[in-house]
Amino acid sequence: MTTALSISQLEKSFGAQRVLDGVSFGVPKGAIVGLLGPNGAGKSTLIRSIMGIVEPDAGSIQLEGHPWSREAVRGIGYLPEERGLYKDMRVGDQAVYFARLKGMAKSDAVNALKLWFEKLEVEGWWDKKVTDISKGMAQKIQFICTVVHDPGLLILDEPLSGFDPINARRIVDEVRALAAGGTSILLSTHDMPSVERLCDEVVMLNGGKVVLSGGADALREAGWSGQQDVVFKGNDIAFTNALGTLGHLEGISEEATEGLRRAHLRLRDGGRPGQLLHALGEAVEVIEFVKIRPTMESLFIQAVDRSAAETSGPR
Amino acid sequence: MRGGLIGAVIAREWRTRVVKRSFLIGTLLMPFLAVGILAGTVLLTQATDTSNVVLVEDAPGLISRIDPGSGQAVPRCPGCFPEREKLSYRFTREAPADSVWLEEGVTVLVEYDAAVLQNQAGYLVYDKSPGMTAKRNIERDLSKAMEHARVLGSTELDWQAYQRLKFDLKLIDRDANDDGARVDGGGEEIRGTIGFLFSAVLFLVLAVYGGVILRSVVEEKSNRVVEVLIAAVRPEELLLGKVIGMGAVALTQLMAWTVLSTLAFSVFQFAFDSGALGASIPGQGEVPTDLLTAMAENELTAILLDINWTLMVISTIGFFVGGYLLYGSIYAAVGGSVQSEQEGQGMVMPIIMPLMFAYIIGSGAMANPEMGALTWLSWFPLTSPVIMLVRVAVGVAWWEVVLSWVLLMLSARLVLGLAGRAYRYGVLHTGKSTGWTLLLQWIRGHGK
Repeated sequence: MTTALSISQLEKSFGAQRVLDGVSFGVPKGAIVGLLGPNGAGKSTLIRSIMGIVEPDAGSIQLEGHPWSREAVRGIGYLPEERGLYKDMRVGDQAVYFARLKGMAKSDAVNALKLWFEKLEVEGWWDKKVTDISKGMAQKIQFICTVVHDPGLLILDEPLSGFDPINARRIVDEVRALAAGGTSILLSTHDMPSVERLCDEVVMLNGGKVVLSGGADALREAGWSGQQDVVFKGNDIAFTNALGTLGHLEGISEEATEGLRRAHLRLRDGGRPGQLLHALGEAVEVIEFVKIRPTMESLFIQAVDRSAAETSGPR
Repeated sequence: MRGGLIGAVIAREWRTRVVKRSFLIGTLLMPFLAVGILAGTVLLTQATDTSNVVLVEDAPGLISRIDPGSGQAVPRCPGCFPEREKLSYRFTREAPADSVWLEEGVTVLVEYDAAVLQNQAGYLVYDKSPGMTAKRNIERDLSKAMEHARVLGSTELDWQAYQRLKFDLKLIDRDANDDGARVDGGGEEIRGTIGFLFSAVLFLVLAVYGGVILRSVVEEKSNRVVEVLIAAVRPEELLLGKVIGMGAVALTQLMAWTVLSTLAFSVFQFAFDSGALGASIPGQGEVPTDLLTAMAENELTAILLDINWTLMVISTIGFFVGGYLLYGSIYAAVGGSVQSEQEGQGMVMPIIMPLMFAYIIGSGAMANPEMGALTWLSWFPLTSPVIMLVRVAVGVAWWEVVLSWVLLMLSARLVLGLAGRAYRYGVLHTGKSTGWTLLLQWIRGHGK
């Protein structure tokens, strides 16, 4: 699969502080890649390096298979975490200004912006000044300014901050639609649910290094520690006995209706879900048998903890 | 392509400032205000420069005698009271009550006693001021008549002999040229004053618009727009666009002032010369037939006639461009390095010291427009925008102006480059530490 963005062994230090330490990963075309990491992990420096705002000390960046260039960067839609609008300009005027900085002709910019304004239902705010609009509205305008030139690669840094749940969902839908249309997206965020909802792949940074990366599903699968959720109808003792050596019970609860019971259990080492389901099916009536994969949040915390332990490990 | 980006930045800076009510009002109002002040001065001069009839109460009989035929007091020295367009004299030994002489058409009464020859002072009594010009003429005429009286009182001199011996040297200014062809010139003090007026305007414009750049950069940082911008435009280009954009705003204002002032002046001149304004002034006497003559009669407005406007406007714009690029880029770099405008104002103080120094030296040039220091300061880029204007007004070789301007532009280019480097680091700097050390580090290329 061709990559929209490819980063190889990127390094950057500020004085004695190494902020990026051999970072390598790629954003496949049309994929949404989540860039995760605790504060100070190097995410902003990485993004700024891609955008040419910070010059890396070593390593390479390729855009659409070509070496990094200023012109190629101009094609990127970039929504920084630290973002704002001119207070003394009308909304429409500054949206046109930002589009022109991205190389759009004025008439094309106006036409494309009008469409986006209608799509996100902010068309009535074209002639308003930023001081007259709400924070959420300003966030929508900023999002529009980022995507109006139909970029092949989008870099969104905390795109959902400042949005209420309804508008956040709207932006998530738009991001999904853009990806479906072939736009590659690098999404930096602390909002784990949105990572789970949106991202095809994940790159986790800590201390300037990639501590975990891969497909979101694959990572969650790999991080599965045998947890299962089972909904059944029947006797608790029969259910517990049926677990045998395959698994152990972590908790059981009675559902309020129809005498259904829900159990949380974990497979023992070497146990297989199919075996367990078969064993349970002979003791009780199994209604649901669901594999509980780790959340992105727990993977994130585990990866950070593991990385911290390695860094401060035996000397 | 890059030019297009800078063009977009320039256009935004220009548009957001020029298409603004406060700018439009200030730009439109200023020329009319300036011409209004000029008109007021001229009209007021005209209004107060009415025909004056002076009654001289020569109680001691120093300068007048009683004509045996008419019984009226007449001057002993008629030549001391030359015919003046708006000034005539009557003499008396004893003036009637004020209400009486006012009733008789006399506008001013001069009174003194025998001690006038010693204390050289008398009184000027009036209901309405005769005006500065009339007062000066009255003083001059009476001084000459008193001088005549003194000479007559002397046993060793007679008036004719005194007049013959009297020596009144007049020096006509001429400029010396290498080719030996001398031309009328001189008036350096007046021209120095004119040059200073222009340099003062330039100083103000540089300081004011430098402050505007500083504020704009600080606002972009605090608005958090800057990261979006520098993702599309190089910081150096953004800085260049901002400096040029706001310089264009200042130039727009200067040019609008020039055009509108010329227009307003032309309208005023037409109205004045046609007599339309003169008739409307109460109590006014004869109105001069043209405005330029009226302006020449007033010391203040006469200066305006001495200005070579074309040369001065072109020089002002030329040195504004260089000076603005130089100082504007420094202001922008400082703006990028601070978190608040107040902090920035503190930091730019050392930068504008040379400009302030030039301003002070420029003010000294009014008294001594050909002081040696002016030559060097007019070549030094940090002071040349202000000082060279004084020299241009006084008179300077064209090659010096060109050399000074070229040096200024080269320095501006150099400073613009250095400021761009500092700006690149500065605009993303959000830490509390600021100051010149940090700025110099950024210029050397060290920074986050």
